[in-house]
Amino acid sequence: MKFLPLIWSGIWRKPGRTVLIFLQVCVAFALFGVLQGLKTGVEHLISEARADVLIVHGSLSLIDPLPLSLLERIKSVPGVKVVIPVELFGAIYQNPSQKLGLVAISPDEGWLSAFTFSIAPEYVAALRRIRTGTIIKEGLAKKYGWKVGDRIPLKSTVVQVDGSTDWAFDVVGTYTDADLGGANDTILINYSYFDEARVSGKGTVKHFNVAASDPKLAVTVADAIDRRFANSSSETRTESLRELAQSQLQSIGDLNFLIRAIVSAVLVALLFATATMTMQSIRERTPELAVLKTLGFTDGSVFVFVLAEAMVIFIAAGACGLASALLVFPFASRFVPGLSMPAVVVGVGLVCAALVALISAAVPALVAARLKIATALAVR
Amino acid sequence: MSVARQSLAMLLVNLSGVRERMASVLTIIIGVTCAVGVLVSMLAMGTGARRQEMGNVRADRVVLITSGARVWQSDISREEAAAVLELPGILKGSGGEPIVVPETEVPVEGRRRVLGNRIFFPLIGTTPTVTQYRPEMRFTGGRMFQTGLHELIAGNSCARQFTGFDIGDRRPIHGTDWTVVGHFDLGQDQQCFVFADVDSIMSTFSRNTYSSVSVRLQSPSDFDAFRDAVKGNPALHLEAKREREIMEDGFKELNAILNFVSYFVGTIMAIGATLGAVNSLYAIVDSRRRELATLRAIGFGPGPIVVSVLAESVLWALPGALLGCALSWALFNGLSASPFGYSFQLAVTPSLAVLGILWALGMGLLGGLLPALRAARVPVTTALRAI
Repeated sequence: MKFLPLIWSGIWRKPGRTVLIFLQVCVAFALFGVLQGLKTGVEHLISEARADVLIVHGSLSLIDPLPLSLLERIKSVPGVKVVIPVELFGAIYQNPSQKLGLVAISPDEGWLSAFTFSIAPEYVAALRRIRTGTIIKEGLAKKYGWKVGDRIPLKSTVVQVDGSTDWAFDVVGTYTDADLGGANDTILINYSYFDEARVSGKGTVKHFNVAASDPKLAVTVADAIDRRFANSSSETRTESLRELAQSQLQSIGDLNFLIRAIVSAVLVALLFATATMTMQSIRERTPELAVLKTLGFTDGSVFVFVLAEAMVIFIAAGACGLASALLVFPFASRFVPGLSMPAVVVGVGLVCAALVALISAAVPALVAARLKIATALAVR
Repeated sequence: MSVARQSLAMLLVNLSGVRERMASVLTIIIGVTCAVGVLVSMLAMGTGARRQEMGNVRADRVVLITSGARVWQSDISREEAAAVLELPGILKGSGGEPIVVPETEVPVEGRRRVLGNRIFFPLIGTTPTVTQYRPEMRFTGGRMFQTGLHELIAGNSCARQFTGFDIGDRRPIHGTDWTVVGHFDLGQDQQCFVFADVDSIMSTFSRNTYSSVSVRLQSPSDFDAFRDAVKGNPALHLEAKREREIMEDGFKELNAILNFVSYFVGTIMAIGATLGAVNSLYAIVDSRRRELATLRAIGFGPGPIVVSVLAESVLWALPGALLGCALSWALFNGLSASPFGYSFQLAVTPSLAVLGILWALGMGLLGGLLPALRAARVPVTTALRAI
């Protein structure tokens, strides 16, 4: 510990050079942090997706409607806790740029376990009571200033029985969605009301949401449901939310390759730059190092000093770079939601920084350690 | 002595000492190589995607969609599609019929051969006239589907990537079995396309509207007249767009993401490389203080010194740029990538190389500026006294 001031003064011998190296390392690890953050963001999305919520949709295509009559038969599959019909359609509020997604569901007993939403019990009760009720996503309440009791007029391409395309719903509450990939501008409405009001497509759903009674059995349940409808006119395909997230983000393989390639290019450039800089600095400090040795410092301690200087700069700059990557996250979350930097990434980043420091300073440190006092002092 | 001649002489002096400063020079070159290499490789994804999308575009092809709608929102009734046949300027096919292809698109599921994972791809309902609308379409096996039957023809890239697309394979789609009867190539396009009879698809999926109607014109110059005829026809609520416009619309979003990511990463790496160059050049200038002071003492002005250091910096950045472009070309040109679930071949083009070189020039100039100023400010007396 008593040698810390010595290392410190070594670092600040040429402030300009140190600051530049610091910035360079900082920039490199900021990039490292952002790229790794992207990767973990995507992986996080997949692992957070619920495995016990199953989506039953038409096989081979996502657009076939399924008949509502499948509901009872799905419910009778062993291991199925709740089955909720889901119909999706779009509407606009006031002008075409304000689009809304409408999710029609049946708020039956235990329905929330088949979704990623969290809703206060009194709102659910109100939705059950008021047929034209709607529960809006929290962000929408702020965006359009809607509050409980408001009646919101919407225009849709779905035609009502009376020929009108105007729909109106009464706000009865708000909800939040734990699914990071979930759309923001969505509202929940009653399926029974919607199905009665529309003129075509009655008695069909886009998909069923199923909650399995035991998450571990979800895969078996999914297979059992699909088997039940195999070779029927409405074949199904059942997937958990996690599987869906996985197939949506299947490009992750290429993303990993890309990130690895970029990070290695950055580290190679960094390694070379810092190695030459440290070498240069050792060359300039030859007389000083010789004086140190004259005072009785061993070759080994000189070796350690040089390494320690590099380590201090790199780890500090690496930490600084990773921290500044956090600043970019809100901006990059436009493309991938849920960017994060778990401790592992910070750890790997700092270990990388230390390794680059060790490798780039090893040769200069060796040169410094091998200096002969007489020749070193003779340079002057 | 003129400034230009002084600068040139200075530059030659600078370069003469390159052997002793090889490490610093290499630092600049390697830093620039990595920055330019990464930027060019990433931009090559965008160029590759564009080349693939636009490779088959022809100026005489026009796509009709519902006015104001995007392609996937468009609804065109059978009456409207029939009325399109009467419009002026449409090229007549070999049988004398106008080349008008009503199309619809449904997503269907495929399973990859390699990993077995599922992917959705478009099944396009079209008519046999499509071979005349797309002259680049070439059968490599089997035959065209027959109208009214449940038959599919698959692009070769589909047959390669997905299972169940060999000729004779039966695929269950929406409760009916569809037989694969042919394979084709579609010019440069590597995307997976599967065609089937449009009416069979519409009846299977209980649809009654087309999503687009494609038309081949007699010549590209007929486009304006054709568009006006569409606009002027009260029975048609359609708008005519050149194939290029339709493609650009669909490509805009991906392009924006690719460009953002490329320039974001490229800029950060360029900043890193520039910092490295500044450091190296400072080291070079510092190690030559005496030499520079001597030159000042014998009459070289500060201007030529600044110019010569800047020129040296740019001169070291250039080989880095060339090396970066060459590496990116050697490693990635022609490689298939699907970074966002959409596959295409990377294309490293001369214009990208020029961009990479300009980028490197910028790094060289910015990186050389501060060291050049320090070199020019070396105080003659103090520097010489140090001897």
